[in-house]
Amino acid sequence: MNEDVTLAKWLNDEMNDRELKDFMAQPEYATYNKIKELSGQLTVPQADMDALYQNITRNRNKANQPKVRKLNPWMPRVAAILVLALGITFFLYTTKTTTQLAAAGERDTFLLPDNSEVVLNAGSEAEYKEFNWSSNRKLELNGEAYFKVAKGKTFDVVTPLGTVTVVGTQFNVKARNGRLDVTCFEGKVKVTNGKETVFLTPGKTVAYENGKNLNLADITTHKPGWLNHETYFGKVRLQEIISELERQYKVTINLDAEVNPDAEVKKRFSGTIPMNNIDTALDQILPIYHLQAKKEGNTITLSAE
Amino acid sequence: MKQDNPAGICEELTFSGFFRSHAKALRNFLYYKFGNEEQADEATQEAFIKLWENCANVPPEKAKSFLYTVANNTTLNHIAHKKVVLEYSKKNVNHDTNNQSPEFLMEEEQFKVKLQNAIENLSEAQRSAFLLHRIDGKKYHEIAEILGIGVKAVEKRIHGALLQLRKDIDTFR
Repeated sequence: MNEDVTLAKWLNDEMNDRELKDFMAQPEYATYNKIKELSGQLTVPQADMDALYQNITRNRNKANQPKVRKLNPWMPRVAAILVLALGITFFLYTTKTTTQLAAAGERDTFLLPDNSEVVLNAGSEAEYKEFNWSSNRKLELNGEAYFKVAKGKTFDVVTPLGTVTVVGTQFNVKARNGRLDVTCFEGKVKVTNGKETVFLTPGKTVAYENGKNLNLADITTHKPGWLNHETYFGKVRLQEIISELERQYKVTINLDAEVNPDAEVKKRFSGTIPMNNIDTALDQILPIYHLQAKKEGNTITLSAE
Repeated sequence: MKQDNPAGICEELTFSGFFRSHAKALRNFLYYKFGNEEQADEATQEAFIKLWENCANVPPEKAKSFLYTVANNTTLNHIAHKKVVLEYSKKNVNHDTNNQSPEFLMEEEQFKVKLQNAIENLSEAQRSAFLLHRIDGKKYHEIAEILGIGVKAVEKRIHGALLQLRKDIDTFR
């Protein structure tokens, strides 16, 4: 009986006439025939075959790069983070600026990456980038500093008032309150203040006040006086001396309102003022301007004699 | 492994043509097994994606059997079986219904329901073989290929299915 497949033969119309006749004679035939007839009318709920194909195409395109799919999903992330971290580090390193600061009453001596020496005078700030220093020797200065620059290509000191370019030299740059003073002690210095360019040789000094050349006389020293606490002033107004005293001695100096700023005060001063003894310094200046000083703690008030 | 020949199943046109001629039957077959449309759709997609991924290694004449092998392997992992919901074709081809007596029509409706229930109660192997023949009009040798069995085994399943269906229907008559 195991091998009996007569019903399958019948369903597939494979019976010969005799077999068929015998089969039709059986009582079950009616049911079988109905099954055959009605099962032929059965249908399957239909699917959207187009959508199905779209899905396959979508997945298939992904399958075109099987190697990519097999990568651990965190691998590209780790790589991205590494690249990002590296990029940020590089960015920070290349853009990192070093700032040197000398507060009022202080000095700051420091070396640049090429061992150039910089001495910042009181109340000054210098900023530079250590990255790629040897091919881009540039320093931003706000205030006054003395430079002893190592041999090499150009060296730029950028101030809000102009740029000083030097080659292996010693020089002083002072950029304060709209006035730029540059003195060359050794080598050659180029000063550019937007309007004009001046070359300085040792002993020469140049000063611009609001862009105007003050035509200062040559100096005779080999180093700026302030390094030895003897500041040289060339054609300065009283206000500039007062500002310098405030920086050096860390005091506040008020000019009395009664003092006529137009007459005496506008007189320009040229000379050296000690920066290690405020009384001596005041004694030297006050007679010139016919002023007297009154000291109260860290505040000095200057009034007319 | 001739990668320099992009023809065969890897060719877009060949692939879509192959899909059109085989996808529906494959989906029906999977539906008979699962009794669930979603699973049938999913397994159909999976099988075709597998075929595409291996298109370079499958010659066109082997593609069909590859497809059904993959599908059969997939179904092994899905044993949970749900109801196979089948419908009768709306247009009645064989009968001019207007000429039938109401009694006859009612009887036929009852028979239809019984047949549906009986099909549901068939074993999965019998149902697949039977419905592939009845709904998809597959020849026995085609069913054998699809199921990965011999023609004789198909005939046995069909025979068994008919036997079982008749018993079920006549028992509840």
